[in-house]
Amino acid sequence: MIKIRSYSKNFKEHAVLTDINIDIREGENTVLIGASGSGKTTLVRSINGMVVPDSGEVYVGNERIQFKNKKALRNKRKHIGMIYQHFNLVERTTALHNVLTGALGRLDTGMDLFRSSLGFFEKKDKEKACEMLSFVKIEDKQDKRVDKLSGGEKQRVAIARALMQEPKVMLADEPTANLDPETSKNIIKLLMKINREKGVTLVAVLHDVETARNYFDRVIALRGGKVYFDGKTRDLKDSCVREIYGMEKAN
Amino acid sequence: MDKTKIAGPMAVNIAAWALFLLVLTACFIRTECNPAHLIGGIPWILSLVREMFPPDFSRWREYLRLTMETVAMGLWGTLFALIISFPMSFLGAVNTSPNKVLQAVVKSFFTFLRAIPELVYALIFVFSIGFGVLPGILTLTLASTGMLGKFFVEAIESVDPKTIEAVQATGGHHAGILRHAVFPQVFPLFIGYVLYTFDHNVRTAMAIGIIGAGGLGLELFRTMQTFKYPQVFAILIIMFVIVTLVDRVSLYMRNKIISGEVLEKGNKALFISVSWIVVAACAGLLICVPLDFGQLIKGMPFLFDFVSKTFPPDFSDMPKYLGLIVDTLAIGVSGTAIAIIISIPLGILASKNFARYPVVFNIAKEIINFCRAIGDVVFALIFVVAVGLGPFAGVLALGVHSAGLLAKFYAEAIENIDNKPKEAVEATGARTIQVIRHAVFPQIMPLFNSYNLYILDRNIRTSTVLGLVGAGGIGFELTMGIRLFQYNKVLALLIIVMTTIFIVDKISEHIRKKIV
Repeated sequence: MIKIRSYSKNFKEHAVLTDINIDIREGENTVLIGASGSGKTTLVRSINGMVVPDSGEVYVGNERIQFKNKKALRNKRKHIGMIYQHFNLVERTTALHNVLTGALGRLDTGMDLFRSSLGFFEKKDKEKACEMLSFVKIEDKQDKRVDKLSGGEKQRVAIARALMQEPKVMLADEPTANLDPETSKNIIKLLMKINREKGVTLVAVLHDVETARNYFDRVIALRGGKVYFDGKTRDLKDSCVREIYGMEKAN
Repeated sequence: MDKTKIAGPMAVNIAAWALFLLVLTACFIRTECNPAHLIGGIPWILSLVREMFPPDFSRWREYLRLTMETVAMGLWGTLFALIISFPMSFLGAVNTSPNKVLQAVVKSFFTFLRAIPELVYALIFVFSIGFGVLPGILTLTLASTGMLGKFFVEAIESVDPKTIEAVQATGGHHAGILRHAVFPQVFPLFIGYVLYTFDHNVRTAMAIGIIGAGGLGLELFRTMQTFKYPQVFAILIIMFVIVTLVDRVSLYMRNKIISGEVLEKGNKALFISVSWIVVAACAGLLICVPLDFGQLIKGMPFLFDFVSKTFPPDFSDMPKYLGLIVDTLAIGVSGTAIAIIISIPLGILASKNFARYPVVFNIAKEIINFCRAIGDVVFALIFVVAVGLGPFAGVLALGVHSAGLLAKFYAEAIENIDNKPKEAVEATGARTIQVIRHAVFPQIMPLFNSYNLYILDRNIRTSTVLGLVGAGGIGFELTMGIRLFQYNKVLALLIIVMTTIFIVDKISEHIRKKIV
């Protein structure tokens, strides 16, 4: 589903990622771990073209991501949902409106574009958004303004927004970094449910190794701008984890 | 799913929009701003623009002198206003005034001075003491005494009472408290306000020049009257350059002074040299453009004569005046509507976070600067020539000038939004226009409303005087009243204008408080 080939990215003089090669199959759930600054976020943001690599290629669903072609990129993004550390919701609007923004990619031509640019949505889209809100179990908050919601509720709205896209791939960039442990667990469980029930390929960035181990099938660890470990979660040894986070010298 | 919840606010919204559009349409019709007129006006405007090319700077020596006159007018006006308002403001502030009655009187005096539009002062002074720089200086002095007085009083009243108490506790006398507790706290603010007022006065000097108060404005009016459009264009360019220059310098100095950066070492040298250049330039100008006290003394009897003859006000034409007030309000509303329509795309193009092409961004920025730099009265003068006398010219003038003001506000608001939700909506594959509507617009909505309201308030205020250059509304009647020596009517009209401004001001203040 996702292929990353000889991917490199520098920020100014500093090389963040060098020659990354990764293959992720359809329906897999994968977690990216690594110390701060190891480039996990950069890598995951390249999958939907929010970060443009200096060299190398990214394929999603057998098609190469054309970072420079605005239209092709937009078409690709329609099927890639993403959730974020800071939720990235439009705070001053309702939960329902935020979920509806997930439909904008689909409503991008003719009458649909006209209507949505004026701020209107059709009934079927609204109903679908309500459905998504009940899937993430906050249907009672649909008319609440997002800035009145708790962190966990905000992340659920963000997930509903991503689901509204009917995504084939779901990216999660440290989705629990701003949540308490209990809420974090529930959010991860929800992501797993989406992966299982909807067959959505899940790629998450996490800073917490325990959660990664408890829930995900596959781990990719980054260290020094390279893939340091890539395999089944149960094969990830404690010594390896210590090396990833730089507590022990590699080799 | 509860369907009424979706339908409920929508019905109210549609009703509100319908009412809004109805009022707007009424205003457009009243101001002859119908589509046919708008489209019909475009060829006229374009042909006027074509005739302006290329700008004719052959009389540059004359322009240089007039530029000095204009800037000196602003300078003299600011200087006198400072001399008058500085001592008075301590009498007008609650916490420093020795007497409650005196405090109230001073404060209402400032309010009264501000309530009269600058162009009205200019009209009266030009009429009673003749053309030239002097009536301009008198105008700016009175108008900016009101403005500075208000700023100063507010600054003094915001002084921390604890410091005053502490100095009082040491047994300090009244003057000592003022000098050592109040003055150090308000000094940077005062300088900032004076610079701002000067900036404002230079712009105003150009506008009041048009109705006879000398400088570039008067020259613009004359060249316009004699159809020398390339020279008109040259003067417009000069105005743009001066306003931009004064604006930049005043903004630079204000920022440095208010942020306190001046006190830090590294920045000091540049600031001090800029200050000295400014002071020297000001002194030079004041020497080059001296005051003509002879004209003032000769004009005084006429002025007193004029004032004494206005009593009692003659309201016999009240029905007509009410119609004119409706016209004036309609010009303000229509002008604001046009400004909003122009400035939404302009503001978006001129905001850094939506600037995809630097060329487009810079062009948008310069258009905004140009619209802001050229005052609405100047635009009105041009549009009167392009589309004829009447409210339509006024609407266009307000629309174009305040589009510049609004677009700058919008651009700043858009630059200050939280970019994360914008990115998130972009990442769903939405188009730019959808991103603007669903991720940017909701964020700037409260600011958007309060800016629009502020501009509406300002435009209604301005629309009362646009008639002075023939652009419709009650101002035209005011000019005619003076020209035809119907002084009692003039006073009646003045009272009506001031009441309108007062009421609109109160209403907008009320709504603004509700929004915030």
